[in-house]
Amino acid sequence: MIDVSSISKQVVTSEGTLCILDNINLSVQAGETLAIVGASGSGKSTLLGILAGLDLPTSGTVSINGEDITAMDEEGRAAVRAGHVGFVFQSFHLLPGLTALENVALPLELQGVSDALQTAAHYLERVGLAARVGHYPRQLSGGEQQRVALARAFACRPTILFADEPTGNLDTGTGAKINDLLFDLNQEEGTTLILVTHEKTLAARCGRTLELQAGRQINSGNNA
Amino acid sequence: MLAFKMLLRSWRGGQLRLIFASLVLAVAVVTSVALLAERVERALIAESSSFLAADLVVRSSKPFNPQWLQRAAEEGVRTAQTVSFASMTYHGDEMHLASVKAVESSYPLRGAVKRSQTPFATDEADIELVTQGPARGELWVDSRLLPLLDIQLGDAIELGDGSFTVSQILIEEPDGGSSFSMFGARILMNWQDLDKAAVIQPGSRVNYRLLLADGDDFEGYVDWLKPQLSVHERLITPDEAQASIASTMDRGRRFLLLAGSIGVVLAGIALALASHHFANGQTLQVALLKSWGIAARRVRSLYLQQIVLLGVIGSVIGLVLGWAFHQLLISAVREWLPIALPMAGPRPWITGMATGMLCLAGFTLPALWHLPAQSPLAVLRRDTPINNLNAAARGSLGVLAVALLLFWYSNNLWLSLAILLGFALTAMASIAVGLLLLRLGKTYGHWMGSIWRLALSNLWRRKKPSLIQMVGFSGAIALLMIMVVVRTSLIDEWRWQLADDAPNHFLVNVAAHELDGVKQLIDQRELETAGWYSMVRGRITLLNNLPPADVVPEDHESLRRELNLSWTRDLPEGNKVIQGQWWDDSTPQNGALAPVSLEEDIAKELGLKLGDTIQFSVGGLTFDAVITSTRSLNWDNMTPNFYFLFPEGYLEEYPRTHMTSLYIPAEEKLLVNDLLRKYPTVQVIELDKIIDRIRTIVSQVTRGLEMMTLLILGCGIVVMFAAVSLSMQERLQESAILRTLGSSRRLILGVQWVEFSTLGLMAGLLAALGAEFAVAMLQRFMFSLPFNWHPWLWMVGPVAGGLLVGVLGVAYSRKAVTQPPLQVLNSL
Repeated sequence: MIDVSSISKQVVTSEGTLCILDNINLSVQAGETLAIVGASGSGKSTLLGILAGLDLPTSGTVSINGEDITAMDEEGRAAVRAGHVGFVFQSFHLLPGLTALENVALPLELQGVSDALQTAAHYLERVGLAARVGHYPRQLSGGEQQRVALARAFACRPTILFADEPTGNLDTGTGAKINDLLFDLNQEEGTTLILVTHEKTLAARCGRTLELQAGRQINSGNNA
Repeated sequence: MLAFKMLLRSWRGGQLRLIFASLVLAVAVVTSVALLAERVERALIAESSSFLAADLVVRSSKPFNPQWLQRAAEEGVRTAQTVSFASMTYHGDEMHLASVKAVESSYPLRGAVKRSQTPFATDEADIELVTQGPARGELWVDSRLLPLLDIQLGDAIELGDGSFTVSQILIEEPDGGSSFSMFGARILMNWQDLDKAAVIQPGSRVNYRLLLADGDDFEGYVDWLKPQLSVHERLITPDEAQASIASTMDRGRRFLLLAGSIGVVLAGIALALASHHFANGQTLQVALLKSWGIAARRVRSLYLQQIVLLGVIGSVIGLVLGWAFHQLLISAVREWLPIALPMAGPRPWITGMATGMLCLAGFTLPALWHLPAQSPLAVLRRDTPINNLNAAARGSLGVLAVALLLFWYSNNLWLSLAILLGFALTAMASIAVGLLLLRLGKTYGHWMGSIWRLALSNLWRRKKPSLIQMVGFSGAIALLMIMVVVRTSLIDEWRWQLADDAPNHFLVNVAAHELDGVKQLIDQRELETAGWYSMVRGRITLLNNLPPADVVPEDHESLRRELNLSWTRDLPEGNKVIQGQWWDDSTPQNGALAPVSLEEDIAKELGLKLGDTIQFSVGGLTFDAVITSTRSLNWDNMTPNFYFLFPEGYLEEYPRTHMTSLYIPAEEKLLVNDLLRKYPTVQVIELDKIIDRIRTIVSQVTRGLEMMTLLILGCGIVVMFAAVSLSMQERLQESAILRTLGSSRRLILGVQWVEFSTLGLMAGLLAALGAEFAVAMLQRFMFSLPFNWHPWLWMVGPVAGGLLVGVLGVAYSRKAVTQPPLQVLNSL
């Protein structure tokens, strides 16, 4: 499903060239769950961005379903994202002016889904927020906001879901509940899940872990 | 429609409030200003047309070609002929040389004739307005004819070969101002009675007028008529009808134009600030849309649709509000507004709509256009640079939109350029000086306690939004100051010109032996003259030793009639030497060539320049003069003016008469009768009715200006509000954090107060600079008013700026101390 071949990412700073990712190779099959772990600044989020087609590597290739997204232009990669990809972010990124229901419905409406509002309501009910559909993000707690974000991500039925520190902004108890919901939904929908985290327990729930250290892949293997 | 749905949701979510409010108010203000300006302008035109009793007049010394009247009838152009002449009137043993005007039944085409059954009526209840002249056999006469001929209303008097009944008192004729009553009391008669009176004989000195108005193709008719006019016929426009009215109206119109243009620019600033705020709030949404795979083209199209929708909805609401607002203002001042305002055409509505759409497009689209091209990575990394157009390029596009609008509105390239350049200078000075002041504040603020230290370092830290706010504040304050200063100096100028005791009568042709008697009569009534001038009547016989007909191609009026020549040692008040030099004590008083100073326009028309010679003939004697200077005259101040002035010593030997101007109050009006009875050859030019009309018009124009000023002030407040809203979210967040950390209410509000009032104070200072510059330019080039400094601007600007912005800022940020910090943070 996703094939990563020898990707590197370098950026030029005032202090010289900085290597953020160095020769990463990876293959993720459909339905697999992969955790990318590592210390802060190890390149986890950069790798996630490149895998999702939000950013480009300096060298190497990334293929999704056999299509080399690094050879595409931004419009091509946007089309791939629209067809396959969903996101969950650490800071939720809900639009403050929209209600929970409208936040979930917006990407569906943009895809031209005719029953966007019903689908959105269904997913909000699935994440336990049926009673809060008309609330604005500022009226929801952090955990509730992330649940809306999960509903938004799954409502589009992506084949691959990228999650960037999905519980990084939540307390342990709420985080655990969000994780449960994430994995339950993932299993129900049969989505490929790639998440970035520095929580060992969360990483352990994934089928596989890729550990990065200073941009290098130091360990990649199946979890027990 | 997804774009509409997104717009509706953004509205409900509160993101659109500022930009929507700015848009609606900008359109409302520009629409109401434009509506008011156009209606006041139309009223002024109607008023000046009534001054002519027509839209256009042809004046002639001969009867008009019947073809002209026939063609006018075919084209649907309304016409009325009048003829004025002097004629003796008799009743018993009494007689009077009256100034008669015969009018056709369609007279007047514009305005109305005021008549009464009460002599000397001033009470409106006694005065009747009619749009017709006297019936056949009737005369309408000036009140003072009654005592002069010793008659009552209803009596018959002799005029020429006929006897006519005096049926009405003529209080005022609309075009009374265009021909002075030089020969005594005015009599209005019916055109068809001319044959009966048989007073006009070949060679009679008469003045025919053809009044024209309306018609399907009025312009076309005038274009057809113009080439047929001979040297004896002249076209008179409302502006030419009365020079002082023309300049008052012209300045009034220019002011309305300036005020409207300032309204347009203020609307532009308000929308620029609101658009900046709106675009900044859209970065997350754009990044999310991109991460979901929405192509940049589609994102752009979605925003474009939303902007167009927002523009249309906001502008339509703005148009309705603008209409309501201008109606409200008109009804508020209706009792002071003696004339009915005509309806406006489509232009104000188009201007309002264009302001909304163009400003929104000019400021919002450049801010949003490049957002869709940004990397979707921004959803993961907040520090991803946003590749939108830089502020300068965005600003330039917006300014271009405002410039287009300004040019469309004013149709005056120089005015548009002056306002834009003035604003650009203020903006650049705001940025440069503002940066310097902010740095100084930050450096030295620590000496002034914690509130000042925190506030000044906040301003420095937020220097970009601070500078944008400062440009907004200073621009708005400067524009408001320009309005107020120009308005005040215009009104002062008019008041000065038309002081209550401004001369309203001219006495001409007072012979030397009559002078003491006339002076005595005036002194008895305790009236004061504007000084006595001697004059000699003479003709031009040679120009540079050639017959005038060989030099001046057209039959110039000054060559046909006798001219008034006068002499004076000092340059008369209101005169200005344009070329050459005014004489001094060293000028010889008996040289072979008399020095002469010419009015500049007559010098141009006769093709004369400094050093040219003119030969004058006075009572059969000739003398030569050389042009030593040209002068401009002030026609507005109602004092005697002369086209030809000589130094003392050259004209005294010729037979001379005397003239003066003086103020005769209404209750002393019978002085004119006494004068004319005792000195029948003295000519009295009565300007009192004209001056009253000028006063009425000036007071109407002044009211118009007051209303405009009020509206523009409202627009300025909108700009201030938009500017204050700019950094409010960040400020509230910081204040809530400070509050969480236990800071006192005093510290938080104190910091906000210092920040905003410092911004306002700096902006006020810069605004004073910009306004002083702009006012100097406008007074010099647009209003022809003398330049003077306005020290109060430098006081009021910073103080008012500091107070106003400070109060607005603190009022806006009070939420930070009145609500629990968590509630504030959650609401952001």
